[in-house]
Amino acid sequence: MRKIAVLYGGSSQHYRSLHEPKYHRYFEKVIYLPDLEKTSLDEFDALLVPSQLHMGLIMKNKEKIQAFADNGGIVVAFGPQPKEWIPGQNWELRPTNFWWWLEKDAKSGLVLKNPEYDLFKNYITLEDATWHQHGVYWPPEGADILVSTEDDGAVLYVDKVSSKGTWIVTTLDPDFHFGSYFMPATERFLDGFLPWLAEGKV
Amino acid sequence: MKQKTNDFLMLDSGCCFGEARLSDPNFQDLMDFIDIYDLPDHDLSSYKCLVITGLIDQEFLYRHKEKIREFLDMRKVLFFGGNLFLDWLPGGSSFVPKTIRNHNDYDVSITKPHPIFEGVKTEDMTYNKGVAGFFARGHHPLPEGAEVLLNLPGGEPITYIDRHSTNGTILVHAGGDLFGYNSPVKSTGRIAFQLTQWVRDEYSQLQERGVQV
Repeated sequence: MRKIAVLYGGSSQHYRSLHEPKYHRYFEKVIYLPDLEKTSLDEFDALLVPSQLHMGLIMKNKEKIQAFADNGGIVVAFGPQPKEWIPGQNWELRPTNFWWWLEKDAKSGLVLKNPEYDLFKNYITLEDATWHQHGVYWPPEGADILVSTEDDGAVLYVDKVSSKGTWIVTTLDPDFHFGSYFMPATERFLDGFLPWLAEGKV
Repeated sequence: MKQKTNDFLMLDSGCCFGEARLSDPNFQDLMDFIDIYDLPDHDLSSYKCLVITGLIDQEFLYRHKEKIREFLDMRKVLFFGGNLFLDWLPGGSSFVPKTIRNHNDYDVSITKPHPIFEGVKTEDMTYNKGVAGFFARGHHPLPEGAEVLLNLPGGEPITYIDRHSTNGTILVHAGGDLFGYNSPVKSTGRIAFQLTQWVRDEYSQLQERGVQV
């Protein structure tokens, strides 16, 4: 099992998502974000960066997180990330499609681009990754887009070209919604995503 | 640098969901904003009301809970809209999520008519585009002597006023930031204005009571 460290911003949403026993068991260490600067990441295989963290503190630790990936680590970034701290980050903010499911002939607008990828082959379905998007990424050339919008904007991608390690980047924010007691698909996403991150083929 | 002119102070969580609020014109003449991590060194004495929303770092507030208590003991008002899980707010208890069996479990009722919710329809609080669950999904157990304003169908108090735990007044809502309810499209749009007015009235009464003592 990979040793996963997760950042914790001290909000109620983070508290619930990271301390829920079925998820907490996957975290070797929960790092309180203000302590990240003085915490070594050397012993970990993966660093999970939840959504809705204090952006000033993330930017302050940008080099540290990038160095972790440059040394071969896996970095996961959840949720909208309007500040640039991810290599090749090309974020496009879009109006959130909160209400697509109420429309006639409802379509989420999501496309599963790589059904053979281990995450989707063995751990979650596209429905488990379907609630709403806050925008899209336009990832670097060579990155593997797993889920996109119909116009090919990336909603979930894996980038193994920007560093020696792996960046797993998604606009989805399951941690925020599970932590807010809101949106059942987000629980199914985390139920599959965390075991995959711990033991799956990344 | 902008001179402080406002009498409300919001602690900014620094998260991207809170960012829009910082430049929202509806708040510029009402609230000053400081980064949560600047709280320890910030002079709060000129503010009437401290506004804290649900994305805030409660670990940090817990470490600086004396500052919060001192502010309230100066006969001030504090609004918190979110889910408590740490003991930083006087009289506060941890959020208890509601077990949801169907969407009616989210129905909001007025426990006691109050100026903050005057003219606000309960269905507008419960439903957003026909979907329930946005307003509150649980409650905080009450401190002694609390005044309950709104509740869920099982009687769970989702919004309360606490005038007993400190010398000031604490308003706790187990949901979002009530100052954000300002859209004229629905009756809930009255909340932000009425809440602002209530805070100012409450502050005046607190200060007058302090002078009498």
